[in-house]
Amino acid sequence: MNFDLVLCGVGGQGVLSTAYVVDHAAVEAGLHFKQPEVHGMAQRGGAVSAQVRLSDGPVSSDLISDGAAGAILSVEPMEGLRYLKQLRPDGWLVTDVTPLKNITEYPDLERLFHVLFSVPHVIAVDATKLAAKAGAMKAQNMVVLGAAARFLPVPLALLERHITALFQPKGERVVTANLKAFRMGVAASAFGAALVARGVPRPLVARALARLDFQPVEVDELVVKAWADRLAGVDGAAVAQRVFASRELLPVDVLTANTLN
Amino acid sequence: MDSEILLGDEAVARGAIDAGISAAYAYPGTPSTEIFESLQTYVKQQKLDVKGLWSTNEKVALEEAIGVSYCGKRSLVAMKHVGLNVAADPFMNVAVSGAWGGLVLAVADDPSMHSSQNEQDSRYFADFAQVPCFEPADQQEAYAMTLDAFALSEKLRVPVVLRLVTRLAHSRALVALGERSAQKPLRYVDDAGLYTLIPSNARRAYAGLVGKQAALADYAEQHASNALTIRGEQLPGLIVSGVAWNYLREALGPRLEDFNVLRVSVYPLPVKKVRALLDASSDVTFIEEGYPFIERFVSALGLLREKPLKGKLTGDVPRMGELSPDVVRRVFGLKVAPTLTIEGLDGVLAARPPRLCDACPHGDSYNLINEVLKELTPGMRVMGDIGCYALGYYRPYQAIHSCLCMGSSIGMALGAAHAGVSPSLCVIGDGTFTHSGMTALVDAVHEDLPVKVFILDNSIVAMTGGQPVSVSDEQVVDLVAGLGVKREHIRVVSPLPQKHAENLAVVREELAHPGLSVIVARRACVRYAKEIKEHKRERDAAHHHDGGCQDCTGSCR
Ligand SMILES: Cc1ncc(C[n+]2csc(CCOP(=O)(O)OP(=O)(O)O)c2C)c(N)n1
Ligand code: SF4
Repeated sequence: MNFDLVLCGVGGQGVLSTAYVVDHAAVEAGLHFKQPEVHGMAQRGGAVSAQVRLSDGPVSSDLISDGAAGAILSVEPMEGLRYLKQLRPDGWLVTDVTPLKNITEYPDLERLFHVLFSVPHVIAVDATKLAAKAGAMKAQNMVVLGAAARFLPVPLALLERHITALFQPKGERVVTANLKAFRMGVAASAFGAALVARGVPRPLVARALARLDFQPVEVDELVVKAWADRLAGVDGAAVAQRVFASRELLPVDVLTANTLN
Repeated sequence: MDSEILLGDEAVARGAIDAGISAAYAYPGTPSTEIFESLQTYVKQQKLDVKGLWSTNEKVALEEAIGVSYCGKRSLVAMKHVGLNVAADPFMNVAVSGAWGGLVLAVADDPSMHSSQNEQDSRYFADFAQVPCFEPADQQEAYAMTLDAFALSEKLRVPVVLRLVTRLAHSRALVALGERSAQKPLRYVDDAGLYTLIPSNARRAYAGLVGKQAALADYAEQHASNALTIRGEQLPGLIVSGVAWNYLREALGPRLEDFNVLRVSVYPLPVKKVRALLDASSDVTFIEEGYPFIERFVSALGLLREKPLKGKLTGDVPRMGELSPDVVRRVFGLKVAPTLTIEGLDGVLAARPPRLCDACPHGDSYNLINEVLKELTPGMRVMGDIGCYALGYYRPYQAIHSCLCMGSSIGMALGAAHAGVSPSLCVIGDGTFTHSGMTALVDAVHEDLPVKVFILDNSIVAMTGGQPVSVSDEQVVDLVAGLGVKREHIRVVSPLPQKHAENLAVVREELAHPGLSVIVARRACVRYAKEIKEHKRERDAAHHHDGGCQDCTGSCR
């Protein structure tokens, strides 16, 4: 088993904390790993990235090859796309949808999202807003990690244990918020997978997921069914478009509550 | 045995501590900074008695380490590759005098220039000085070879270079740690001539260094990590060094079995093994990270034609930039993995270059400089230097027109003045000024031409992550005055938007002065406010509180 991972974002977005959690969880799971990182001038808002190479045997190269990553975990949508060359054609891009526009030439959002949703396997969540709801603005990295957790060859419980260990020095409140953020990501990802399993086209799932508010628990079966029926229906694309156009996060039970017409 | 997840840099730090160092010195620089950073943290955490500091520059750092070595104790000194240029004088000479306590230089190269001006390969420096060099391939070797390096240094009384590269320095892996050796006792050499390199002694010492070469060659020849594997007569051969070994294994996989391989990790080059590989192989390809160092020796610059040799000199391996598994695959004509093609992707990727933080004092200094530039001869050039403020090259400032090496701006401005530029402007950070700008200022004092030096005093070495500056606040002014600049032409301004007009008046006054002026733009870096406070506290605490000091907030006042 070999699993390569790219982690990316902008300086200050917690990319290296995510790496810490994955590294430690991997060691505890008995895996070998190497984890290079690029943080030259991160503090001044530049791009930051790390790679994690996981394997059940010794890892030779620190660097991954192009087309080798099983997943890209990004805390910023354009940054996620930046590393697409490293993704396996069947690999997953898991990203926050909230852009960080600290440059003047930030691309047009409509074009950016068009490209993002044409990636074959993408999970886009509003990690920034979900993290705020979880109680820690900075926990967007944990939402993304949660959303990607099902692809990683490391048990969920180990990831949670090392999230706890990482934030313990900052106090119980920070630990709780980060775990909550992580579980929101897990719920979002499972919800997306359930929709796909029910036959909803992936691009529609991706768009809807990006504007939904998740609780740190699994989404109710009835809610899943309501969404699947709606998105797989004749006006599914229009619904997905409408959901994605929303400025606020919509509660995931918005359909069953009958407030989305 | 304990295992810990460590960066390559951290593995070196832990290796040094476990080798029983008594002191460590460093000057920050990517990708070497984490060596001393982690060492300092660990020493504090474990309450170890290991001395040392962020030195004022690399030359001083090495000299401090040499002092420890001459007293019989072990010491580590860490720097980035260009730092060894600054430390070259003591380095070349301590090679001649020899070490006494183990002396190891951990030098981190930066192929691909992720955060450097060049790709220089420190193996050349080690070779130039005729001292051994270790080139670990991974974090575990970084730890183990640090221990080896100290042992060798002491055994043969030579300084030893440990060469890291970015991808090892800044990559984490699990490292198994061993036992810690005790520190060495203070023991003097009772022959002062050994370390007093006046010509008569130097000739004797140099003969000593030349005399050590056979033992060093022997050591490299025997070292287990210089591994020669001959799999068959007239198979193709490979010579591979350092981290390139990882990429090669990844790229070739089981195909590696079809080659004769010499892996090199310890220099001087194990020439007997190289000879054996050449004899046994149909041809030889060189895979090394950095300059074509081994290839130049073995191929005699392409003059050796007894076997086909392929590498960076022949264009078979890319000459510039770092290697990767894919680069190595292409060298051997192997397939690389397919990647996604997404329509419109390039159109939505904008570069995200580093930029000055919001409210950074350097931004206000550049606004000031740009404003006065408009009043001067069009096309005026400002000599720049290295630090966060080098970002003043970019929009929206575009205020500096050079950045060569640390400390160069003042000398270049003086040169420009000699070339007829008047006034001749330059900017230099407070850290860079004490690193290597001060000596040039002494020349500028001597010439007293209209050179206008802006010292951007942000109270920290920011660029490399917030290390302490050697002098701060009024000390900067005193230092500049002490170097001979007239007090009335040392002006302190506070680079803030609301003080723009006031500051402008000060700068204009100094531009009108026909001699040397120093304008200290003093405002603390906003990003490292916490560290600046912490450094101040530490400086005060380290003071000898004898009641006599003027500027101390400690208990003596
Ligand atoms: C010889 C050498 N050593 C180290 C470095 C790495 N380096 C680049 S800038 C810098 C320090 C800059 O500090 P300062 O002048 O105080 O400017 P600031 O970043 O705080 O604005 C260092 C250490 C280098 N480029 N060259
Ligand atoms: S780290 Fe400090 S000196 Fe560097 S850009 Fe930020 S505020 Fe300016």
